[in-house]
Amino acid sequence: MSAAIEIRDLTLRVNGEPVGPIPVPVGTSLLDVLHEWLGLTGSRMGCGQGICHACTVMLDEETGPREMRTCITGAHWFEGKSIRTVEGHARTEPDGTVVLSPVQQAFVENFAFQCGYCTPGFVTGASVLIETLKRKPVRRDEVERVVTDALDPHICRCTGYVRYHQAVRDLVLATPGLTIA
Amino acid sequence: MAIQHDAADPTRALSRRSFLKAGTAAGIAVKVSVLAPPAQARLMEASPSDGPAWAAPGRPRYRLDAVAKVTGSKTFSRDYRAKDLPGWPDRQAHALLIAATCADRRFTGLDLSRLPASLQPDRIVRHEDLVADGVAVPHADFFGDWFLVPQGETPRLLGQPVAILIFYDFPRFAAAKRALRFADDVVRFGEATGAKPPAHYGASRWVRIEGETPDAPDRFSPYEHSPIFAGFSGDKPAWPAPGQEGAFPKGMAAAAAIAAEIDGAGEDALVMRRTYRSQSTDASAMEADNGNVWYDPATGILHLMMATQSPYDVAEAAAGLVAKSRFPLKEVDLKVGYTVGYGTKDHHIFPFLCVVAALYADGRPVRLANDRFEQFQNGLKRHAFHMDTALLVDRASGRFRAMTGRYACDGGGRPNYSVAVSFVGATAAQSIYYLPKSDFQAIALASRAVEAGSTRGFGTLQTMSATEMLVDEAAALLRIDAIELRLRNVMRTGQRNSQGAVPAGALRNEEILHKAAAHPLWRERVARKVAYEAAHPGRRYGVGFAQVHKDYGTGAEAAVASLELDAQGRLRLRHVAHEMGPGVTTSQAAMVGEILGRVPSETEFGVVRWPEMPLHTTDQPYTTPQAEEDRRAQDPRWTPRFTSPMSATNSAYYLGHATRTAARFLADHAIWPAARSLWARGGKGGALASYNEITRDGLRLADGEVRGGGLPALSLAEVAAEAHRLGLAVGVTLHTFNRWQWAEAEFDLPGTGRTRLPIDALSLRYGAGAAPERRALMDTAGWHFLPRTAAFYPPTQRNNVGTTYYSPMATLAEVAVDTASGEVTILSHHSILECGRQIVPALVSGQVQGGLAMGIGHALKEVLPLYEDGPGDGTWNWNRYELPRARDVAPWNQTVEILPPLSETDPPKGIAEVVMIAVVPALANAVAHAIGHRFHDLPIRPERIREALA
Repeated sequence: MSAAIEIRDLTLRVNGEPVGPIPVPVGTSLLDVLHEWLGLTGSRMGCGQGICHACTVMLDEETGPREMRTCITGAHWFEGKSIRTVEGHARTEPDGTVVLSPVQQAFVENFAFQCGYCTPGFVTGASVLIETLKRKPVRRDEVERVVTDALDPHICRCTGYVRYHQAVRDLVLATPGLTIA
Repeated sequence: MAIQHDAADPTRALSRRSFLKAGTAAGIAVKVSVLAPPAQARLMEASPSDGPAWAAPGRPRYRLDAVAKVTGSKTFSRDYRAKDLPGWPDRQAHALLIAATCADRRFTGLDLSRLPASLQPDRIVRHEDLVADGVAVPHADFFGDWFLVPQGETPRLLGQPVAILIFYDFPRFAAAKRALRFADDVVRFGEATGAKPPAHYGASRWVRIEGETPDAPDRFSPYEHSPIFAGFSGDKPAWPAPGQEGAFPKGMAAAAAIAAEIDGAGEDALVMRRTYRSQSTDASAMEADNGNVWYDPATGILHLMMATQSPYDVAEAAAGLVAKSRFPLKEVDLKVGYTVGYGTKDHHIFPFLCVVAALYADGRPVRLANDRFEQFQNGLKRHAFHMDTALLVDRASGRFRAMTGRYACDGGGRPNYSVAVSFVGATAAQSIYYLPKSDFQAIALASRAVEAGSTRGFGTLQTMSATEMLVDEAAALLRIDAIELRLRNVMRTGQRNSQGAVPAGALRNEEILHKAAAHPLWRERVARKVAYEAAHPGRRYGVGFAQVHKDYGTGAEAAVASLELDAQGRLRLRHVAHEMGPGVTTSQAAMVGEILGRVPSETEFGVVRWPEMPLHTTDQPYTTPQAEEDRRAQDPRWTPRFTSPMSATNSAYYLGHATRTAARFLADHAIWPAARSLWARGGKGGALASYNEITRDGLRLADGEVRGGGLPALSLAEVAAEAHRLGLAVGVTLHTFNRWQWAEAEFDLPGTGRTRLPIDALSLRYGAGAAPERRALMDTAGWHFLPRTAAFYPPTQRNNVGTTYYSPMATLAEVAVDTASGEVTILSHHSILECGRQIVPALVSGQVQGGLAMGIGHALKEVLPLYEDGPGDGTWNWNRYELPRARDVAPWNQTVEILPPLSETDPPKGIAEVVMIAVVPALANAVAHAIGHRFHDLPIRPERIREALA
């Protein structure tokens, strides 16, 4: 390896599993580590500038999950932390059946996406919203505003956003504990 | 700049999205396949945990690719690294392009001194290497003459690569890329030369003057006579002189007569002359261009994993590229994943740059994947248009007497599809109106801009938006309601378009106009404006309307589909179509369900190996003369084109035609005779004998059952078993071709006799009970290829019609303009679409919503400078190129009405492009209503509104 590249070990939890220590050049984005070291390509490179949010993952903290942009956040910032990527939301039963998360199920049933490139970011953003609402429910008449606030940072070029928004709104309204009268 | 070149080859310009295929070197096998997803992603054909994917045949509960996409499985071409690809080496090399950001000075060399020795590339590829090794751009008349700028030459276009750097590992690649990004001293330039773009690309002119009666021949029209083609004198087309001999002079005389009528119009007519400009934009497909290529010199196999909308053409052209070089080649093996491009991945030089990188990677797989800055720098752009229009309107009747337009598009520095875009735009300029006289010039200019190419709308977004702004302004000047003026001029079924052709089917624009006129947004707009502005000081309220109809298809649409019914009643569908996002895999399966009452239990898309369909093609569908086509058509294994790219909104109607025809064939030739056989059981004609009034039309296939005519319901399984027992045709593979009309052919079907079908080639597979002599016919990969006994290809003259297939859409947009900031807020919008019979309504409405968002971006936000400050400089990204976000598109306040089909037998229409267009002029017209100022240039950004209000 080149002398011009400083290497430092990285250890974190990804989708509940310990990862590392792996030697990663300092300054590498988490997105590149997910793609090139871990083979997890579900978090997508869109802009590389933190504008489109196709690359986001859930960062699990004591106060609840946060949405993090992995294209502009260095991998070593996540040292010792725990993240969930889009690959970690569904689970597979022993018989091979895939059990989607409620957000994923809502997107699928609402035909929410087309090309699907931005979908992982929307899954992440909506999942963070759902978990946030579990802690801090909102009035039912605020749901549409809250959904737009949560998803507006995400760029989608195929769908016009409508079905993503409707899917999350309907899920929030149908899930006990996320709203108050 | 004075560029002179010979008159364009007239036939070349006629090809809408034509592409001249490589004469692939003999003996090279070309394989193309959609990559089978890894086990984790194979769920795309399975269902999630809570039930089946299909609520009913024809009614999917999910997209068939939904689970793979929502779980982040590897689905896009971009997701794959060498280690994910079976048989490839594990180690992945990476490449990057060094691009010229200056196109008016000589390129003198590369300076990589910013990189320490340890970060120097493992291989640098320059133009001179390619020359030495015989590596040349395939189809230079389409993709441009250079891959890389030669030392000492001026780049053809901004952003043109000068070198490819290859690194054998990712960390060094990433570090070097960071060190070189935005550096202005890496590419060295010398003497100023001025810009050196290619010669201008082409000019055509579409002139029509109607005949004495609606049925009489046009006095002049492209269809009746010819479009007019010209070369250039300087930057202007050198049109032929008017005259009375020959199609071009006659056409120019007709154009002169129209111009004279407009120039000499009296007080009884309104003459409007307006100039409109539509900006260059980047489609900003979320997946940037990328490819991963492994050239294995040991085997001579070129392996490609490529993001492309035209895989077959990429594979063939790549084969031609390598075969002509010093690098040995035995086979090309191209794989594609899912991708998305909105047209911009349909024929681009990028995949071939990936191939070039691989040739110099010493047998390593090389990945060339644009980041967003690079995508702006080298991705295909939407053409900027400059449009000079004139409209002549009879004041008393409000009827249009004539319209002319000069539509010049900037194609940038590589030819690509610019000629086609120019004339597709020009021939769409009439929008939804009947024009007794029209003269539309299509001019494709070359420049040093980043190249423009196929992009959703294909020139029509620009031209129809201009017309819809023009007509709206005309209505205001004539003091006629803007929808009423449209109603007086709308093209009705049977009337001819500006090429002189009668569009397909029923034109329902009038019905849509009436619905829009009755909508509260339109009816109450005056009162609502007063009320809104009273309640919102500093904000101005406006409602705008526009309606367009957009062609779909290319005039040379070809497809292959196969459908097989097994003895248990299960169906297997195979198709050339592959998924681009709109849901083609779901919708094709749904079509089978609608016709046969059961969806396929097995599907395979992106199939390009069809051993049972042993056709050959000259693939010159636009340019083959009639006599030659007649001669070739005698060969039952010849077809004008084998398959089409996934583009031009071709999946629902054109690719679906193959699916629907295959399903109907099985219904006619397997299910119907087998059901009759079962109903005749019991001897002496059985139950059918006394109840024999049922005809094929009375057959009903639904929910896995076969019914009709008062006869007992049969399960599809028992009918299928009977069809197999009887040795009927239980499998059908067919090939289709459309030149604004379906090719038809006659086949001598065993047991049925001579049958005419809307296809040009057919293979059958017979059930196990077939007689030995019939089974012996299945000698073509297990199928019976039936040579057609007669072929009926649409006449080659139909190449002149431009289009005959249209889908209409109207949009009403309600906006508020902040007079302080100039911001336009969309309060709501309502659209009305006619798309024939919807296949999957959820997919249709998703397309509409997405198209509207893209149109909103074009109308209000997105803009790229063409030249030095534009995307070729490598500094553009979505921080400064503003895309519409959810808040910008009124996600909670938009509605869509889709007209019900006229009958249940209406075919589906292609809508993917039309849905983004009407909203563009509707917003411009809404802003005009709001602030009283008509913008003629797009986009209408806040700073321009502030200027207008100042």
